Amino acid sequence: MYLIGEFRDKAAVRTAICMLRAGGLSSVDLDLFSEEPVEFPQGVLDRPSRMSLAAVAGAVVCGLLATAFVYWTQHNYKLVTGGMPVFSFWATGVITYEMTMLGAIVSTFGWFLWESGVIRKRDKSAPVPDVDPGSICLRVRCRAEEAALASEVMSRSGAIGIERRGEA
Amino acid sequence: MTTAPELLPYSRIREDLFRPLSGISRSYLLATLAALVIGAAGLVAWGYQLRRGMGVTGLQRPVFWGFYIVDFVFWIGISHAGTLISAILRLIDAAWRKPVTRAAEAITVFALMIGGMFPIIHLGRAWLFYWLLPYPNARMIWPNFRSPLLWDLTAIVTYMTGSVIYLYLPLIPDVAQLAKHNMTWRRALYRALSLGWTGSDREWHALERAMKLMACIILAVAVSVHTVVAWDFSMALAPMWHSTIFGPYFVAGAIFSGIAALLVVLAALRKILHLELYLTQRHFHNLAKLLLLMSLLWFYFTVAENLTVWYGNEPKEMAVFGARTRAHYAPYFWATVFLNFVVPFVLLSVRRLRTIATATVASVSVLVGMWLERFVIVVPTLANPRLAAASSLYTPTWVEIAITAATFAAMVMMYLVFSKLFPIIAVWEFKPHKEEED
Repeated sequence: MYLIGEFRDKAAVRTAICMLRAGGLSSVDLDLFSEEPVEFPQGVLDRPSRMSLAAVAGAVVCGLLATAFVYWTQHNYKLVTGGMPVFSFWATGVITYEMTMLGAIVSTFGWFLWESGVIRKRDKSAPVPDVDPGSICLRVRCRAEEAALASEVMSRSGAIGIERRGEA
Repeated sequence: MTTAPELLPYSRIREDLFRPLSGISRSYLLATLAALVIGAAGLVAWGYQLRRGMGVTGLQRPVFWGFYIVDFVFWIGISHAGTLISAILRLIDAAWRKPVTRAAEAITVFALMIGGMFPIIHLGRAWLFYWLLPYPNARMIWPNFRSPLLWDLTAIVTYMTGSVIYLYLPLIPDVAQLAKHNMTWRRALYRALSLGWTGSDREWHALERAMKLMACIILAVAVSVHTVVAWDFSMALAPMWHSTIFGPYFVAGAIFSGIAALLVVLAALRKILHLELYLTQRHFHNLAKLLLLMSLLWFYFTVAENLTVWYGNEPKEMAVFGARTRAHYAPYFWATVFLNFVVPFVLLSVRRLRTIATATVASVSVLVGMWLERFVIVVPTLANPRLAAASSLYTPTWVEIAITAATFAAMVMMYLVFSKLFPIIAVWEFKPHKEEED
């Protein structure tokens, strides 16, 4: 099941998260909803990311493919170059560079869509709270027997309202 | 004393920044109409050129690059406004950037769309533009990837893709808000663009990470794009083109004209959309300082480029140098120096004189000056080739002038439409803060 606690204060949310995690809930079970980014120090609610890795991988793959493509096209119809190389990396380096960058751009965007969950909802049954401007909602996924404790923790931390929704 | 916008309640910020999206004022209608008329005149001119051929332009042997290539270089330069400035300010986390970034990013996308049209217009037979794409022709010959013109195509496609994504990413939270509160026909558009954004911390984390990465990547791409545009010229063994400083010279010029374009756009938005509270003297002051810095850098490059040629005294280069500084093209060259260096230096170097009005005047001066600078770089070299007997003059026709004017109208038009569909300042970035680090 889900509990949704509404907070007005970032510090209160942080306290609630720390206490809930100390109580055995993992960061996967906790989600914050707000109209602005809420940042906490490291260790409170970390969201590990491989976006940089994806960008580098995309760049390398796209750069290599572009170079291979240029190499192949220049060997596919060999022009008379008067002894100069048919394929010259220096003369086609700009293509390699730009395609490398294009790979990084596209994979960053693709990874953003994937990691943020906008094209891959992890749990379609999970309720999404309506967030009022200035407030922060903490959604907790827990078992029914943990709900009372989680609710009490949020209440003690400064939640101004707690709502129970759905089944986990 | 007015309240800093960051200290205003969130509801007020949202109301102020979403307000310009509804209702159409008389000045907005007039501006749209004027832009439409000028744009239509440009379309008629292009249609005439397509029908009658390139003979209707002033392009003739040996000057085959004229207004269209000048416009191409100019608009690609303007496109550096946005993404570059926005990326730098985002990476150094300058708090004053908030009202500036989206306006700047939009300039990039629109200027690239306009600049990217010119190679097609310049082709003459525009319907064969797909010959530029990497696919083999009937004899199975692929495009020549060693050609700087193909480098251009690749660089612009990459920059365009990156700039559109860079503009779109921070727009997502705002369109999600708009989708929630909008009841008109736009709701479907906003819902589609928001991709089901819920405002969860996973989404915010991914967005901020993506923005940082994109800022780094786009910086590298932006520098390369104008360097490649410079290489279109410097890879040719033509007098006063074959220069090693052309890459950085063009990049500096692009950033220079980009900042000027941004200042003009911000001044117009401030006035038309009544954003005086958000676009303050401070933003103009900071951008004017950047403009002054780039003006000095531009002047340094111009002196370095011309002094080397003059000192070398190589006859073919001196023919171009003479045409630029003493003969037919001298008024344009000296106007360039006056508009790009003297005017900004006088208006912006004294702190007391650095106001919103003077920054706007200096920016308009720089825009005109930078367009002329591109003209002075492109035309005199072609008009004075190595074969002296082939020398000629270039005079543009009404077709080229109409198409050039239409591109400015197109820029205005696209901006007007954009400012009615999306908030021109990122609302979510204006979260209320008790204190703001600059």
